[in-house]
Amino acid sequence: MFGYMGRILRINLTNEKVKEEPLEEETARKFIGGRGLGAKILFDELRPGIDPLSPENKLVIATGVVTGIPFAGNSCHSVMAKSPLTGIWGESHAKGYFGPEMKHAGYDAIIVEGKARKPVYIWICDRRVEIRDASNLWGKLTRETQKLIKKDVKDEMAQVGCIGPAGENLVRTANVLFGFNHVAGRTGMGAVMGSKNLKAIAVSGTLKVRYANEEKLVDILLTKLNEKEALKGPYWPDTLYKIGSLADFSYWQITGRLPTMNFRKCQFAGYEAVSGETLAKSGYVIRHDTCPYCYVACNRAVEIHYPYEVDPEYATPEYESLAALSSLCMIDNMAAVLKAIELCNKYGMDTISTGVAVAFAMECYEKGLITEKDTEGLDLSWGNHESFVQLVEKIAKREGIGNLLAEGVKRAAEKIGKGAEEFAMHVKGLELPMHEIRGMKGHGLAYATSNRGACHLQVETDDLFEGNLCPEIGIDEKTFPRNTRDKLYAGPEKVKLNKIIGDLFALFDSLVVCKWTVYPCGGTKITTLTEIINAATGWNITINELMKTGERIFNLCRAFNVREGITRKDDMLPKRFTEPLMEGPYKGETFTEEILNKMLDYFYEFRGWNKQTGVPTREKLEELELGYVADQLENLGISC
Amino acid sequence: MRKLVVCDPDKCLGCQICEFVCSAVKEKSLDSSLSRIHVVNFENLGNVAMACMLCEKPPCVTACPRRALHQNEEGVIQVDETKCNGCGWCIIACKFGAITLHSKRRTVTICDLCDGEPECVKACPFEGALAYATLEEVAHKFRRSTVVCILQELADKSKRSV
Repeated sequence: MFGYMGRILRINLTNEKVKEEPLEEETARKFIGGRGLGAKILFDELRPGIDPLSPENKLVIATGVVTGIPFAGNSCHSVMAKSPLTGIWGESHAKGYFGPEMKHAGYDAIIVEGKARKPVYIWICDRRVEIRDASNLWGKLTRETQKLIKKDVKDEMAQVGCIGPAGENLVRTANVLFGFNHVAGRTGMGAVMGSKNLKAIAVSGTLKVRYANEEKLVDILLTKLNEKEALKGPYWPDTLYKIGSLADFSYWQITGRLPTMNFRKCQFAGYEAVSGETLAKSGYVIRHDTCPYCYVACNRAVEIHYPYEVDPEYATPEYESLAALSSLCMIDNMAAVLKAIELCNKYGMDTISTGVAVAFAMECYEKGLITEKDTEGLDLSWGNHESFVQLVEKIAKREGIGNLLAEGVKRAAEKIGKGAEEFAMHVKGLELPMHEIRGMKGHGLAYATSNRGACHLQVETDDLFEGNLCPEIGIDEKTFPRNTRDKLYAGPEKVKLNKIIGDLFALFDSLVVCKWTVYPCGGTKITTLTEIINAATGWNITINELMKTGERIFNLCRAFNVREGITRKDDMLPKRFTEPLMEGPYKGETFTEEILNKMLDYFYEFRGWNKQTGVPTREKLEELELGYVADQLENLGISC
Repeated sequence: MRKLVVCDPDKCLGCQICEFVCSAVKEKSLDSSLSRIHVVNFENLGNVAMACMLCEKPPCVTACPRRALHQNEEGVIQVDETKCNGCGWCIIACKFGAITLHSKRRTVTICDLCDGEPECVKACPFEGALAYATLEEVAHKFRRSTVVCILQELADKSKRSV
């Protein structure tokens, strides 16, 4: 098969059996790779209702058709399992050198099953697979682990994805760190690895992918490289290199949508001290970093010695991390924020979820739901950066109050009780990312309906499409007049836009491409991607078919969730958003249940789902060639 | 003086676009092992792209038992494909790892500077990371940047003393 390695690797850690399975071309075309392939495997193989931290759960790491093809944004891979944080569909995407290397090592996807008796790591080199002892690595920090493994396998070009102590401690927000701070952060994939006693996966390879029409592919890629197409996007001119996604911090501040004080406020008085521009001028940035074949180079490493010692090996700030660990907790000390980011990466924890957990603890402390007795003397007042840094470390180590917060805010709030649920900012158990939705209604719908819980990366409509169109996928001025693309508009057109983008982003996550390089965030057009896919695979796929594939994948993930008991009542938002914004250009804006319910009605209608239950209808599933999914849901007594 | 492709380790981010462009232009291939320039990537230390250094006394030419290599006036090492049998002595002789064995043709390949317009330099996205320059120009660039630093420091010092 062209464009793929054509093989899936299945490793059972319980009996140490390793098996190669073919990736059928039909499956590849229907599910592409990445999220799509993972969704197919996990839907087919996981029994509903299992404990995500039990040996029954499976971890899938999948690349896609464009992974490894040399163009900007190519080098992503997806990590998927049933999430221990949310108990539903869990996925996270990382960039960097791991994905392409994994393909060169021989596999499009790796499935890890069972549980090892003692700590192990997996070493894959040109289709040779070894399960090696990792007892001496258990307890080691992330980058330390990677270096030791490279030494152990005697291959310094090997790429290692590993968990840190947080993953070992089954912190439900633990992440998987690939190479130099490329992180599969969300939904607690690190805890799944930890529960399997799997410390790391290392890959290295020299095998080549065969392409259907290599010369044509070369021509397309050279042309696009000359045009620097990925930088031609309307959203990020060249700020990604200079300031990074951190530029968003001031943007959200100015436009009054910067989550502050656990989403109580939307502008942060101390923002200048911690903004991306301040960091760029500070001299703390010691170097930039990029993914293979990418000229965007959004990554940067910072080094600080005072008042906190911040190790550049771990401290690579980006917007979400920065906002979650500064404005959300009212921290206006740059070194403390960067220290917290460093700690998260060192121990292997999601920065967003950690930030939201800390902010939750601070609010509970303010309201007296937890006291200094619970925190073992930590003064969790808003903005107290000393306790803040200590608390982040405590979460990773599951010490004291950290043990409670390591469960994620949903579980923590349930345990604290006394109305703490009100301060737990999550949807379906996943902590909210750093976008204030009262000032952008499309985002609110995205949070409520995303398959992995509150997510800004599965659908993003408001700022991206306010001034932009994409006629190739049906987003044109006629269907979506300018006023319907406005941030505050919450009518049917906005919901329709949400559906199209949901399908598009499901496709991106399956290809797998970096969303910062593709239109409208970056400049790479869907037409370019289609050309690349066709030249690589020899298929004659159209944009329509690709969008249909995206829809299929979105629906399959929803079906996975439905099977775990998700219904319309779970597509909700935290109550806090029904209160009006207190300041900024969007002062007075709310996101009431009424607005959400109206949007949800349209959403289910456009998606072809049952309006009462939120379950995809049999008709829809059959249209998407997912008839067997409908059968399975009906066998479980879920009418669709 | 001879011009060559040189990399500034302070500016290179290790993106490998030079490798892609080289194998794409020269071989119409996506296989970066066919590239004449190679990126050595050390995550925490930095990155360097390495190509032929056009040595004044090229050990590869001396090492070739079949006299297949020849250095022309511009300093480019030319490979006579009818003579080369891919034995690899030149690869061992080159301390920069600038020579590679072509996996299909089974002869060696060396950077030919694209007739004075190296495609890798043109494509390099990070300003100053790759340059087509003489060693004298490179030395001058480093002298200049160091002197600028020193002068800046002196200026700051005198400002402080005032």
